[in-house]
Amino acid sequence: MTMDEASMVGLMGRVTGTVGPGLVGEVIVRVRGGAEHFLAYPASGTERIERGTMVTVVEYLAPRTVYVAAMYGS
Amino acid sequence: MPMEVGFVVGAALGVVLVLIGAFKLMWRVAEPNEALIISGSKHKLEGLEEGMGFRIVTGRGTLVTPGMQAVRKLSLDLNQTELHVDCVTHQGIPLKVRGVVIFKVGDDFVSIANAARRFLDQQKLMAERVHTVFAGHLRAIVGGLTVEDMIRDREKLTGQARAACGTEMEKLGLIVDSLQIHEIEDPTGYIKNLSAPHLAAVRRDARIAQAEADRLATEAEQLAFGRMAEATRDSEILKAGYQAEQDKANAKARQAGPLADAAARQEVVVQETRVAELEAQRREQQLQADVRKPADARAYEKRTLAEAERDALISVAEARAAETRATGEAEAAATQAKGLAQAEANRAQGLAEAEAIKARAAALAENQEAVVAQQLAEKWPEIVQAGASAFGNVDNMVLLNGADGMADLFAKALTMGGTGLGLARQLLASMNQNGPSPIQNGASPQGTSPVNGGAVPPPAQKVPVEG
Repeated sequence: MTMDEASMVGLMGRVTGTVGPGLVGEVIVRVRGGAEHFLAYPASGTERIERGTMVTVVEYLAPRTVYVAAMYGS
Repeated sequence: MPMEVGFVVGAALGVVLVLIGAFKLMWRVAEPNEALIISGSKHKLEGLEEGMGFRIVTGRGTLVTPGMQAVRKLSLDLNQTELHVDCVTHQGIPLKVRGVVIFKVGDDFVSIANAARRFLDQQKLMAERVHTVFAGHLRAIVGGLTVEDMIRDREKLTGQARAACGTEMEKLGLIVDSLQIHEIEDPTGYIKNLSAPHLAAVRRDARIAQAEADRLATEAEQLAFGRMAEATRDSEILKAGYQAEQDKANAKARQAGPLADAAARQEVVVQETRVAELEAQRREQQLQADVRKPADARAYEKRTLAEAERDALISVAEARAAETRATGEAEAAATQAKGLAQAEANRAQGLAEAEAIKARAAALAENQEAVVAQQLAEKWPEIVQAGASAFGNVDNMVLLNGADGMADLFAKALTMGGTGLGLARQLLASMNQNGPSPIQNGASPQGTSPVNGGAVPPPAQKVPVEG
């Protein structure tokens, strides 16, 4: 049941609340056998990621914050 | 011996039971919806930094030393709290917001640790705390939104909620699964007024649509009524036509008897007429035979008799005429002969007279009257003939007195001649006053009296009768 930070990084997630500068976004990530949502911020700082976009978790800040980047280079 | 065995078995059973009881006391299992917070002894840390001082177990069993370690359970179940908040929107409009927040303790150890530190003894009060937190935050959220956003833009509401509460709840180790606004009470009527134009437009459109639909329905109905009336009319007309035909047929059927009677009667009348005609013809024929033919026969008989009589008369008349003619001719021939003879005689006499006249001429030179009387006496027969010629033009003379009448007639005629003679005598007498009458002188050798004159031809006897 060990859950370190490294296990979160690299996971795929889906944006459920728009991620962008000045916004508190939300992504849902499959983790620990279920799906949990995390507060999300753009990894690049200026990127705006709309809802429904697949993202990769770049950074994980305990307890519930992730930095994400759009997966397919949009 | 058996007693010993039973004791041993009983003891062993007791030991086993004791062991089970001890194990049950020491072995704790975490339910899926809870986390075991174990504290009180030095123990291996699992996934947590140094210094936390307690152990978190989720989803499995763990051995707990009774008396040395304390085990507390932290529920990971979903919680909800009702929100009743008086807010003011971005536009400054006061609203009463009723909503619900659904939250739970985060599943990661950090969240569990944070929540355990804050709520382990106050799990019942967790909703209250969250309400307090959210009441303030909701005011902030609503203050950042307009009424229109709240009503229409759910994304903006959740975004604002995350921005306001996300990090806050992170500190408490909680996750907000859902924030829902159930009801917005609007004491100022802003929302109602907001909806009024749209409502009015919708009502207008609805009324228009209703009216249009009514119109169409009415049109369709009236059209249908018209069609129905048309169909009814057509049907009535057809029915009337059929009825008329039926009546006609009935009437014809009713009239058939009388008509046949009339026809039969007419036939009878025709035949009777024919019979009457035939009878009339027969009667005519009868009459012809009975009356006319006999009459004709009688007429014919009469006519034939009359014709025969007439023919007989004609024949008699012709015969008489022929007789008369023959007689006349004979007399004429005789007269002619007599005349010729007399002419010879006269010539001879004339010659003699010429001598006499010559002789007399001298005398005449002295006495003309005597000459005239002489000449008159000589012309006496012509005069009498002229008097008789009055009868020459008479076609048919009816003698009423028979032979006496005839004698009268001739007497009168001769009297006329006699009158002329008288006249001549008077003339001569007047002349003879100066001289002697030649007659008295007896100058005429022949009978001077016409009455007794036998030399005068009897012209009265000549009665011309034309056939």
